[in-house]
Amino acid sequence: MQGGEPFSFPGGRVGCLLVHGFTASPQELRGLGEHLAAQGFTALGIRLFGHATDIHDMLRARWTDWLASAEDGVHLLRGSTDHVVVMGLSLGAALSLILAARFPISGVVAMSTPYRIPTDPRIRLLRLLRPFVRFIPKGPPDYFDPEAANSRRAYTAYPVPGLQQVEQALAAMRACLPQVTVPVLLIHSKEDTFVPPQNMEAVYERLGSSDKAALLVENSNHLITLDSARQQVFAAATAFARRVGAQAK
Amino acid sequence: MNEIMVGGEPFFFPGDRTGCLLIHGFTGTPKEMRWLGEHLAADGRTVLGLRLFAHATHPEDMLRARGGDWLASVEDGYHLLRGACDRVVVMGLSMGGILSLMLAARLPVVGVVAMSTPFYPPDSRMRLLRRVAPLLTLVWRWTPKGPPDWHDLQAAGSHLEYPMHPVRGGALLYDVIVEMQKMLPAVNVPVLIIHSRGDLTLPEDHATQLYERLPGSDKQILWVENSGHVVTRDAERDKVFAAAGAFVRRVAGVGA
Repeated sequence: MQGGEPFSFPGGRVGCLLVHGFTASPQELRGLGEHLAAQGFTALGIRLFGHATDIHDMLRARWTDWLASAEDGVHLLRGSTDHVVVMGLSLGAALSLILAARFPISGVVAMSTPYRIPTDPRIRLLRLLRPFVRFIPKGPPDYFDPEAANSRRAYTAYPVPGLQQVEQALAAMRACLPQVTVPVLLIHSKEDTFVPPQNMEAVYERLGSSDKAALLVENSNHLITLDSARQQVFAAATAFARRVGAQAK
Repeated sequence: MNEIMVGGEPFFFPGDRTGCLLIHGFTGTPKEMRWLGEHLAADGRTVLGLRLFAHATHPEDMLRARGGDWLASVEDGYHLLRGACDRVVVMGLSMGGILSLMLAARLPVVGVVAMSTPFYPPDSRMRLLRRVAPLLTLVWRWTPKGPPDWHDLQAAGSHLEYPMHPVRGGALLYDVIVEMQKMLPAVNVPVLIIHSRGDLTLPEDHATQLYERLPGSDKQILWVENSGHVVTRDAERDKVFAAAGAFVRRVAGVGA
């Protein structure tokens, strides 16, 4: 998919792995990657399997394929950096937390993290329709910043079998949370209508880390790296990477 | 715990502004390209050894793979490497050689090293099997690999790959080969073909036919004698590494 390619920006010895969300593409984290690179970090935005190609590829995807894609990113970043900070959005945040429980990484920025599958009525409908339908169209864009919708590269529908895979990924994440002991920054929007901010509280409570922070932003919907609060999100993520990168030395 | 096999991880070695993208073969892992990658990195190049989808994880994952997934993996590697360098030389082993040629037909690369590359379906039954594959693979999923053709038994001992061929994969490989043949006229960059006369899977005419069909004039075949199919790890690997390194320096215009 044009504009949905993975990206890498070489920089310093602290590397940031950026993991996008379900049905999205690396594009939704490219702005964050560029910001981090401008601040001297190495940034690598991976593409999760089945994403940014053909939506039919999603019908074959398992959540473990997505985790393997994220693991690829850790190994590639390791080659040119000493410390890896993983940053993910939505499903990507869940994968980031799973990585943190399994790999020696220096910190996690988990944005718009779902603790459980969203309770959006569209999603509930999906569950009922699972045996009969393969795809269900997404609703209209609900950004605070109307500009954000223009650059978006993502599938325009949800693949129904993929939902089940997201549920399994979230179950794995919930099981991993107590084992995450590295510094974690959670960022969520108060106005996230898709994954309400209560999800962040649930993640925060169960995290094993002693160094954990929860940041609430405003004027954004679920995709906080694209929406109106993005500069605030970029600044917080960068400050976190700088702090844990320095600590790790 | 990890999805990716220990030792089968993809790798990245930073270096100069010339990047080498390394693509492993069908049922293989990035490990089969790692020594070559280390050699090229020592020579100063930036190197990325990618992992093809469904490889180096669980053999069952191969049953869900399609040829297009592998091309997408290769494109991913290209974009990631391109972020760290100005020009890319792509090199692959076996099916990785096919994918390298396909990438060269689609995206700007400055050269291709195609090693132990099949030019036509290596098993004559594949064409027939391809037609019945969707049904057949419901009941017949795995087939043993052929006899090993390694010369360096120590290297063979530490080799990492799936122990069986997925039958579906035979159909996929057939499709990928057919697709490559269609794309060859668009491969207009220098190509170095490396092939072993001791390759028990692919007789010499795979290399000679590929050579003849390449449209460009800057093409050559390097023959090795005392290696099997996996020329990047077998007995004459140093000869392969030196040739690949020299080829990269030449096509990228890097001072030796």
